[in-house]
Amino acid sequence: MLIKLLKYEVKATGRLFLPIFLSLLVLAAINKILSAFNHPTWTTPAVITMIIYSIIMAGMFVMTFTVMIQRFHKNLLTDEGYLMYTLPVKSWQHIISKLLVSLMWIIASALTAMLSTEIIAYKPGTLGKILQALATIHNQIIGNFGLSAYLLLLEMILGGLITLASGILIVYASIAIGHLFTRHKILSSFGAFIGLTTLSQIYLVLVFQITRIAHFANFSLYNITSNEFVRSELIFASGFILIAIPCAAYFAVTNYILSRRLNLE
Amino acid sequence: MSTIFECSGLTKKFGSKTALSGVDLKIERGQIVGLLGPNGSGKSTLIKLANELLTPTSGKILIGGQQPGIETKKIVSYLPERTYLNDWMRVQQIIEFFSDFYDNFKPEKAYDMLKRLNISPNDRLKTMSKGTKEKVQLILVMSREAELYFLDEPIGGVDPAARDYILETILSNYNENATVIISSHLISDIEKILDYVIFLNQGKVVLTSTVDDIRDAKGKSVDLLFREVFKC
Repeated sequence: MLIKLLKYEVKATGRLFLPIFLSLLVLAAINKILSAFNHPTWTTPAVITMIIYSIIMAGMFVMTFTVMIQRFHKNLLTDEGYLMYTLPVKSWQHIISKLLVSLMWIIASALTAMLSTEIIAYKPGTLGKILQALATIHNQIIGNFGLSAYLLLLEMILGGLITLASGILIVYASIAIGHLFTRHKILSSFGAFIGLTTLSQIYLVLVFQITRIAHFANFSLYNITSNEFVRSELIFASGFILIAIPCAAYFAVTNYILSRRLNLE
Repeated sequence: MSTIFECSGLTKKFGSKTALSGVDLKIERGQIVGLLGPNGSGKSTLIKLANELLTPTSGKILIGGQQPGIETKKIVSYLPERTYLNDWMRVQQIIEFFSDFYDNFKPEKAYDMLKRLNISPNDRLKTMSKGTKEKVQLILVMSREAELYFLDEPIGGVDPAARDYILETILSNYNENATVIISSHLISDIEKILDYVIFLNQGKVVLTSTVDDIRDAKGKSVDLLFREVFKC
């Protein structure tokens, strides 16, 4: 069922994102061609395409954000929820499908933005230089860290994904909390968002304090092992757990409300 | 006969307002049941509770012996009193959507009914009138071979000519073992297809009876009885 939900979520959102990705890339290409002429007649059109390009770029990021909120709120908590909630599907599957597809579009937007700037900045030979530079960086990292560099990279990506998911889930949880109120749901959602953000800040401060106290108590990872690799892995692992805790909490709150406290108008 | 729908002590409050209060009901399989009552009597609330769209304040609901959840959603087909169709799909896409999620959905049935009502499967949901959307929803709901149908005001928004077709659709699309619960305040229109009636007023059940009993014992039509019970 999750696969089916994902399929329809991608269909529902893809029709919004794909045209904007395409237009961004096309405008970048047009801009590149126009400025390649390097002739006064083509300066004005080049500037205009550049302006439109920038507007679309900004629009794309605003859209990624609003679609993330809209898909959750409109599809699950307004009239469309009558359809979604009578499907034989668990509420956690709804949340996961929305979360994964949102993550996918955020990453796709970032990649499209990068690709389009590459198109604009492209000069014959730059691609080779970029690849060369990447290869040098790659070799240096491998030289310093060995094969564990790949693991490190994987962990950094994973950490990034958890952080991103946390950012989306805090919004879902806020909307869900707002739904608990019989009136002023949107205002309550904003309030919930501020509340949750504050709680997360307090959590971070506490975590920081605890590690500091542990440090002064002479309890640190350095005492556990002398192996550099194991140490860095332990640091990563504890980091993951620390950022995953609020993430899991937002998910649990959202799921509890959607499965146990749902009251569609 | 076995019980398909049962609730006991079912109460739903919205803030300080009580929409349903201590409702006890038992509905057997294989009949068409009219859930009747004036506006605001709690008909939609009861149906929404059965579909898990609302959380009860207290009390219990059992559908086929189970509490509302995934298993009951597989056997319940629900027509809400509002349109839940999104605006980006075509009719054939929403049919595909239903086939994907419900094992008991019969697409050929849906296409057949669309044809009879002159609705093109290629039409976009966005461009449809409210009445057409309601017809599409009813087609979707009735194309499922469910055990229990909840139809919330199925004829409220359509013209009298379409009403007859809709009632005929309901009658011809449900099998002997299935149960249909129809909520309405347009009693004279649906009276002829009902086997059993539940009168609801201000969140309480005021009367349950078979239609035959009303006609034979009381010598009245359901419509007349309704007017007497709910006299303002």
